[in-house]
Amino acid sequence: MLVKMVPSSFRDRTQEFQSVAERLRKSFSSGPSQNGASSSTSRAEENRSGVAHQSEFNRRASNIGFGIHQTSQKLSKLAKLAKRTSVFDDPTMEIQELTKVIKQDITVLNSAVVDLQLFCNSRNEGSISSDTSSHSTTVVDDLKNRLMSTTKDFKDVLTMRTENLKVHENRRQLFSSTASKDSPNPFARQRPLAIKSAAAGTSNNLPQWANGSASSSQLFPRKHMDGESQPLLQEQQQQQQMVPLQDTYMQSRAEALQNVESTIHELGTIFNQLATLVSQQGEIAIRIDENMDDTLANVEGAQGALLKYLNSISSNRWLMIKIFFVLIVFLMVFLFFVA
Amino acid sequence: MKITSLLILKCHPEGSDPIILANASDVSHFGYFQRSSIREFIVFVSRTVAKRTPPGQRQSVQHEGGLHFVVDFISSLEYMVHSYNRNGLCAIGFMDGHYPVRSAFSLLNQMLDEYQKSFGESWRTAQADSTQNWPYLDEALTKFQDPAEADKLLKIQRELDETKIILHKTIDSVLARGEKLDSLVEKSSDLSAASQMFYNQAKRNNQCCSIL
Repeated sequence: MLVKMVPSSFRDRTQEFQSVAERLRKSFSSGPSQNGASSSTSRAEENRSGVAHQSEFNRRASNIGFGIHQTSQKLSKLAKLAKRTSVFDDPTMEIQELTKVIKQDITVLNSAVVDLQLFCNSRNEGSISSDTSSHSTTVVDDLKNRLMSTTKDFKDVLTMRTENLKVHENRRQLFSSTASKDSPNPFARQRPLAIKSAAAGTSNNLPQWANGSASSSQLFPRKHMDGESQPLLQEQQQQQQMVPLQDTYMQSRAEALQNVESTIHELGTIFNQLATLVSQQGEIAIRIDENMDDTLANVEGAQGALLKYLNSISSNRWLMIKIFFVLIVFLMVFLFFVA
Repeated sequence: MKITSLLILKCHPEGSDPIILANASDVSHFGYFQRSSIREFIVFVSRTVAKRTPPGQRQSVQHEGGLHFVVDFISSLEYMVHSYNRNGLCAIGFMDGHYPVRSAFSLLNQMLDEYQKSFGESWRTAQADSTQNWPYLDEALTKFQDPAEADKLLKIQRELDETKIILHKTIDSVLARGEKLDSLVEKSSDLSAASQMFYNQAKRNNQCCSIL
């Protein structure tokens, strides 16, 4: 009736108890009947209340066991999702929802187990045999163990997920230009906390189950920090982006100044070249000038000579004498030949 | 290369909303019905950016793509918001993507200097948005549409570039002059040779008439 699909380690001994009660009642009924009757009725009532308690206990225990089973199923799903996560196709929303749900379940189960334990302790103050009490404590311990292992698995899955995130972040920062020096720190900070809670969760007894619940409460702040590590990372990235921007502004100003300086330098070079060219051309101009002077001198000399020649041609008396002499010679010759 | 708006805000370090001290916006190139919403948008974005700029830091935020709160808004509005926070007084400029970043920040610097010169420290006590106009900001908005005005470095660079171009042209013309001078030299040497021959001929002419 109470076991359902739980692979539980407690056995339902209600039937045995009832048979023992019958036997006892029969053996007592052989004694003083009234006493036996009252005691048997009281015993029967006790038995029935015991049975009721036991069934109550069993019911709650089986509920808790069922819850733990469901939680572990969800956890396996979460583990699969977290393993599957890639850089771009990240089912973050699902993972976060699932983690929330699992966290809630674990808290509920935790409180249920604590309630069960209190209930069991309160019941143990009544007159119940040591078998029952040991049985109930065993059941409670078993449930606690299973819950603890579930929380440990949960924690492992979260660790794996944060590792994956860290890997993706590193890979992303390989392709981006922000510095990745600060990114491992939020994850490194979470590591010692995870180790501490793992160390707390390994032993089995009651006081360390209290530690275990403390470890689970440590677990939840760590998970909360997981959610917060992302905005922290972004803020660090923002700061890292702002410092390069300031540098960029200064660098651009420095660059502009250097440009101006190099431009001025180039201008100086250009002016020097200009001066060289102009001086060379000045030399050429001087040669031209000399050439022109020579030409002028030559032409003036030639003009003088021509003038002299003209003078000599235009006013040469000796030339006239020579012409008359030639005429007279012709006349003489002409007269000689005719006369 | 356009400045859309210039603002000066007072930033609290504790993170409450900054207070606007001066605002000059030029929304004339948007449609008439969008102007008021654009002004509000400018105010809101400048408050947000100023709140997030830590003191002593400069920051540029680039915004691409559509703003969908007005139905027929210009969907491809790319602009950059530059903000400079100096000891709690923050200057913000809305420029388009082509305005050089450096001149933007030098302009913001100038604005802050002007503001502190004209208003002294009175801005520290301001508690509400100031609605009065600051004429310097308006004329700054029109004057500094050309980034060279705002940034001395840019102006110097530009003038130097012009000078360099002029010098290149000068050198080209000097080279051409050199070529012309070379041809002149040749011609003048030819001329002097010819004149010399002419002179010799004339001299010979004078001497040779003795035969006749």
